[in-house]
Amino acid sequence: MISRRGFVKAGGLALFGISLGGIPSFLAEAAASTLTPALFKKKKIMVCIFQRGAMDGLMAVTPFTDNFLKAARPTLFMSAAQGGKTKPLIDLDGKFGLHPSMEAFASVFRAKQMAIVHGIGSPNPTRSHFDAQDYMESGTPFSKGTSSGWLNRAVGLLGHEAATPFQGVSLTSSLPRSFYGNNPSVAISNLSDFNIQLKGNQADANKAAKSFEDLYDQASSSLLKETGKESFEAIKMLQKTNTQTYKPEYDVVYPNSALGKSLKQIAQLIKMDVGLEVAFAESGGWDTHFNQGTDTGIFARNVNDLSSSIMAFWTDLTKYQDEVTVMTMTEFGRTVAQNGTGGTDHGRASCNFILGNDVNGGMVHGIVNPLAKENLEDGRDLAVTTDFRSVFSEVADKHLGINNDKILFPNWDAKQIGVMKKV
Amino acid sequence: MKKTANKFFISFMILLVFCSFIRSENNLFPYQQFGLTKRQAAAHLLNRFTYGATEADIDAVEKMGLEKWFEQQLKGNFTDKELQQKLSSFDAINLSNTAVENIYPRNAQLITLAVKNGYVKKDDIKTDDKAYKEQIQSLMRDKGYKPQQELFRQFINQKILRAIYTQNQLRELMTDFWFNHFNVSLTKNQCAIYVPAFERDVIRPNVFGNFEDLLFATAKSPAMLMYLDNFSSSGTDLSSSNEMSDVTEKPFLRKMKLANQNKKAKNNKGLNENYAREVMELHTLGVEGGYTQSDVTQAARVLTGWTIAPMGENGYGANIKKLIDKVGENNLTKNGFIRQGDFMFVPTRHDSGEKTVLGKKFDSGGFDEGVALLKMLAHHSSTAKFISKKIATRFVSDHPPQSLIDKMSESFLKSKGDIKTVLLTMVNAPEFWSADALREKTKSPFEFTISAVKILGASVNQPYQLYHWITKMGQQMYSYQAPTGFPDNGQYWINTGSLLNRMNFGLALAAQRIPGIRIDLMALNKYKEPESAEAALTTYSKIFMPERKLDSTIERLKPMLTDPNLETKVAEAATKYITPLGMDIVDEQGLMKEEQLKNKKVPVVGISTMLSQVVGIIIGSPEFQRK
Repeated sequence: MISRRGFVKAGGLALFGISLGGIPSFLAEAAASTLTPALFKKKKIMVCIFQRGAMDGLMAVTPFTDNFLKAARPTLFMSAAQGGKTKPLIDLDGKFGLHPSMEAFASVFRAKQMAIVHGIGSPNPTRSHFDAQDYMESGTPFSKGTSSGWLNRAVGLLGHEAATPFQGVSLTSSLPRSFYGNNPSVAISNLSDFNIQLKGNQADANKAAKSFEDLYDQASSSLLKETGKESFEAIKMLQKTNTQTYKPEYDVVYPNSALGKSLKQIAQLIKMDVGLEVAFAESGGWDTHFNQGTDTGIFARNVNDLSSSIMAFWTDLTKYQDEVTVMTMTEFGRTVAQNGTGGTDHGRASCNFILGNDVNGGMVHGIVNPLAKENLEDGRDLAVTTDFRSVFSEVADKHLGINNDKILFPNWDAKQIGVMKKV
Repeated sequence: MKKTANKFFISFMILLVFCSFIRSENNLFPYQQFGLTKRQAAAHLLNRFTYGATEADIDAVEKMGLEKWFEQQLKGNFTDKELQQKLSSFDAINLSNTAVENIYPRNAQLITLAVKNGYVKKDDIKTDDKAYKEQIQSLMRDKGYKPQQELFRQFINQKILRAIYTQNQLRELMTDFWFNHFNVSLTKNQCAIYVPAFERDVIRPNVFGNFEDLLFATAKSPAMLMYLDNFSSSGTDLSSSNEMSDVTEKPFLRKMKLANQNKKAKNNKGLNENYAREVMELHTLGVEGGYTQSDVTQAARVLTGWTIAPMGENGYGANIKKLIDKVGENNLTKNGFIRQGDFMFVPTRHDSGEKTVLGKKFDSGGFDEGVALLKMLAHHSSTAKFISKKIATRFVSDHPPQSLIDKMSESFLKSKGDIKTVLLTMVNAPEFWSADALREKTKSPFEFTISAVKILGASVNQPYQLYHWITKMGQQMYSYQAPTGFPDNGQYWINTGSLLNRMNFGLALAAQRIPGIRIDLMALNKYKEPESAEAALTTYSKIFMPERKLDSTIERLKPMLTDPNLETKVAEAATKYITPLGMDIVDEQGLMKEEQLKNKKVPVVGISTMLSQVVGIIIGSPEFQRK
């Protein structure tokens, strides 16, 4: 059956009223610290960021020695050399250059905490955003009818009962395809909404919450009774810290973007030890058909937001870095050649970023062959040389200790490429 | 003597047959055998086949007879004046797909048009730039284009209003059921603008008809063809294109070929199995329906050439439109093209080789192969079981008994897929009325929301506000991404986040905190002042959940009423009450104007806080989540 039922067994806070404010604060604190079940602590956490719209991997991480690319992108190509038309790319290894607006990533890449996979994508050649996202999130690139998403299956494979409703959390307004399925997962767009709300009157809100709690405690339907219990436990968990006045550590300032806000809330959940293991956030605006720019412009702003949001998160979580791995993903890449409107069209392979202490970092993994016509997919696109499932499964397996790729990615023979350190 | 006896005998037999006929017509639903009173049975019937019933509704059905009410609902032909009045200002919901294409261009089309018509220079396309956005705005104004979001908003609003106000409640529920069964999604941009017509023309008229008709209508609809990609599926190699060669060899055709070659390079599709797989797995046979991967591939080949007719001036299929204009409709027909509304069969894309699906050979050629395939699937015994189980899961129980599924699927096969007959079999089966079925179903967020609004008799001027809440509770309408549709069971709907939102919705609704949704709590009790706080609790619990055992709910809520001033508050509420209706700002489409609303405080006049809290808690209570 549904493993989230384990939460009810593990919960220990039920003896307190709905609001811890009702008891002397020293007691509340003591209760909170002693009653936090040990199994919430030191769980490994995988954070996935979906870049919707298809990121131009060739501009994010450019094979800057490739003359074919230079010729195909007369106004978009950037060089790693000083003194050019644009700020230089950040030379990673003599072959690949990081976009200058992603400078925030340079230090973690050099510290070998970040790995990049280039030439990653789906074996299904669709160039439809919807279809490609659907396939990537369901984890079955040739089947649309798969009812569950890969992250939901990952939650199911964690190998222990969910001790919390926050085991799988998506910081989105509705549940993303990645989390569809029977395992516990919840979409939260704002942590402070996770409460009983009665405007203007905290006493009434508490009273209403108490009534609901009692009613659900007596519900004759076990589904409603147990979920009700979980819900009130969840509220209590979140009440241990004030979600609205959260102060990140190390004077970190998160970008005031959708992604920045999402990652900030994920950081809060992690620090609250509420049992989070799989988290999901989104970043938009990557469909750059028009005037995508170079070191300034839409693309530069996007990668700047991506990298500074992730690095704010990473720094804020300095004390938790051993537990956390962050992985980005995007549905496909973009055409090698720029189009007639200063942008790029839907292509095939892109690249992704993986950040964590157990990552085989400081390397650009994968295969990017010289961009000659004969090496391109359909004569125009960066070829997919690494199946996204190799990377997703390796990160999930190694970081979360999942051990069943047949379930995680059905109908697929796992071949992993070593983006994670060998244990 | 003998003759007379015979005559008697024959008349007697005729009478017997006649009687049994009459009796079966007057057959009462078998609720008595489970000890249900007529009124309890009426409440159960209405719980399952409407979006929410008041005591008055139950009275009416009890009086009219349950069977007669159900019969009326199966006809589903009330004129719905009130609803039509409410929908009359919605200018987008009755547009054809072509009109929608012409009025609501996709973003990419807008940009192309803006450049073509000189509104924006190619180098100035900066999608996050203010000046650029203004130029796009002026293009839209000049050409009469409207933002797609407006279309979707009207579409979502109409569903909410229909559910609340239609007298044809069962038709609306079945529309929801079949839409979800043949799910298409607004999240897929390419098919999104066809979704309103899909529900209106493909689903709603066919909900009580023959399953085969429903299957054909969906198979040929632009929304489905696009959502599951069959529009692009081709059995011939488009890149070496002989696509148009047997029609004629005019220069423009070479261009077409080239365009198709590019398309091929772009989509690299050829055969696309998505629809063929899902039509078997999700629409007809079910995943255990006994088909193989080879059947999927072969079925996909059968369905090659089933695509969308070109429509709209800037819309889909501009190339095929040119082809039709040049060659002429008559010549197309001669060459085996078939055009039915927005559907088109393109013979040059059809794989004419021999195919075998589920042991049956398909080699008759052309469009007829697909027709034969869908007919076979529609009447397959696996389909009968799969559809019966799905209907029973929706209306009876999350885990319907096998005996019920068997009865329904037998009736499905006997009636050759007549949906009405299957529904009648279900409601005439004891399983529908057994204790295992009563209140076993959990309301979906949509059902929950509508039931609260209906029972409160709320005045709904901004349906879209309800959409936001329904989304928060986990059912973003028309936006389930996967072709499976929303899972139809309580386990799926009830989780911590969604449950808290249900409770908060109850509190917000009762406290008049949802803009554009106004309620009159006192009117619910015919402006009678409850004698005491406890009486208020009992009264309102019964109004919300007629014919339920509420003793324990009421008992649990009593401590809420410990507020010493409560009775005074209730009394004051009764005297001060002024109905705050008609204060919302609504434009001619029935849509709210958010900016204007932002600063507008909605005064809550005279309703006792405590009364509204009691009502809010009743709505959020576990008992009200069930149906």
